[in-house]
Amino acid sequence: MSFRWDIIFEYAPFLLKGTLLTIGLSVSSILIGTFLGLLIGLGKIIRNKVLAFPFYCYVTVFRGTPLLVQIFLIHFGVVPFFTGETNAVAAGVIALSLNAAAYIAEIFRAGIQSIDKGQTEGSRSLGMTHAQTMIHVVLPQAFKRMIPPLGNEFIVLLKDSSLLCVIAAPELMYWGKAMGSQYFKVWEPYLACAFIYLFLTLILSFVLNRLERRLKTE
Amino acid sequence: MKKVSFLMFAMIASLLLVMTGCGKDKEVSTTGKESKEEGSDGKTLRIVTDANYAPFEFLEGDKIVGFDVDFIKAVAKEAGYDVKLESVGWDPIFVEIESKRADVAISAITVNDERRQTYDFSVPYFLSTNKILVPEKSDIKSGNELKGKVIAVQTGTTGQEAVEKLIGKNHKDIKKFENNNLAIQELLQGGAAAVVADNTVVEEYVKNNPDQKLKVVEDSKSFNEEFYGLMFPKGSELKSEFDKAVNAIYENGKYAEIYKEWFGTDPDIETLKAQQ
Repeated sequence: MSFRWDIIFEYAPFLLKGTLLTIGLSVSSILIGTFLGLLIGLGKIIRNKVLAFPFYCYVTVFRGTPLLVQIFLIHFGVVPFFTGETNAVAAGVIALSLNAAAYIAEIFRAGIQSIDKGQTEGSRSLGMTHAQTMIHVVLPQAFKRMIPPLGNEFIVLLKDSSLLCVIAAPELMYWGKAMGSQYFKVWEPYLACAFIYLFLTLILSFVLNRLERRLKTE
Repeated sequence: MKKVSFLMFAMIASLLLVMTGCGKDKEVSTTGKESKEEGSDGKTLRIVTDANYAPFEFLEGDKIVGFDVDFIKAVAKEAGYDVKLESVGWDPIFVEIESKRADVAISAITVNDERRQTYDFSVPYFLSTNKILVPEKSDIKSGNELKGKVIAVQTGTTGQEAVEKLIGKNHKDIKKFENNNLAIQELLQGGAAAVVADNTVVEEYVKNNPDQKLKVVEDSKSFNEEFYGLMFPKGSELKSEFDKAVNAIYENGKYAEIYKEWFGTDPDIETLKAQQ
């Protein structure tokens, strides 16, 4: 079997374009997903069961159905319902952020609940309000503990963006598949994609490691 | 300590459960996808297809049916072989055949020079041409008017090739999907102005979904006639046997019978034979 470097070079500009879109999709979904995840995570720990119920439902639905199914539903159903036409990139960002938000919500909830009760009691007895306690005392400590699981989630999200090739979002995997089906090859396109994804996740984990070290107090 | 060992036990037990579960799943799904034909006592051939291409090959429940399926069964019977048909997906077909893991592929595969370099093909068994599927009120009347419009195709098909010939390879206006169903879905939801695919597929779709308000545009200038062939690994000995068998069912009327059953018209056997 001969490994055809020439077709990788031929497709290099497309793979590069795809990589940039993959990065764009992942970064925006990470930001939106984290923001939504924080809100939903806080929503889930509201003591009032009725108020917390919608947040429970959200996590159950988005964590309990496959991402691929969500992508199809959002691409062919939700986005055209609102705009009248499909948009693979928009659908991709929406699906990835909504899905990630469900997992991130759980990470936030676990992080917040892992902080010792004494911290809350202490700051409340100093006269802080509930919100102040949350923002100045609990969340900063919780956030540090959340970095490793959040890092996991970000890496999963980056890799899951490859699923968007099914709705023809021209990201990395889409071009890999295009290359594969033009030349009927498997090694060249998919190994190339695998290396690029590995490279991207390595950068991401490096950044997260740095962040973790920066926030270390002891 | 007791707790730990119990945990270990539970983990191993669940792992085993998952593993056996996987094994069973696989068995079920393969038997579900394959349809084995008993009858002649010849060798059983592994035939691969992509059962996602009505009316040629598609799934009815867990059974693969379609024109290609009836055709290959008739041809294989004529040649004295049993058929084990398996749906593996479009791109994997080419990998399976190239690596000789499968004996024959039938999946409405168009014979062209590019593919001939890597594979052997039987004599043509079907005449087809790419056509354009557009909404009823669309003003696209020819292939040239596709320029500047977003076009959805199935990746790796001659529909994609034909469009790329018109507007440029890997052009940003071409959206490539796993299969034609998704491409047509994209058209219906307004994400594309047209779908280019084999005439039988788009015509069948329009016929079966009159409420979607789609129409088929023909352009024999932009899109050439194409012929489907059975695909074999390069140098396969089956080719000559199957060529003979295909001609035999042309002669004995079996081909016309199957054709009429699926498409409701008589086949143009003369054009097919002229290609041999």
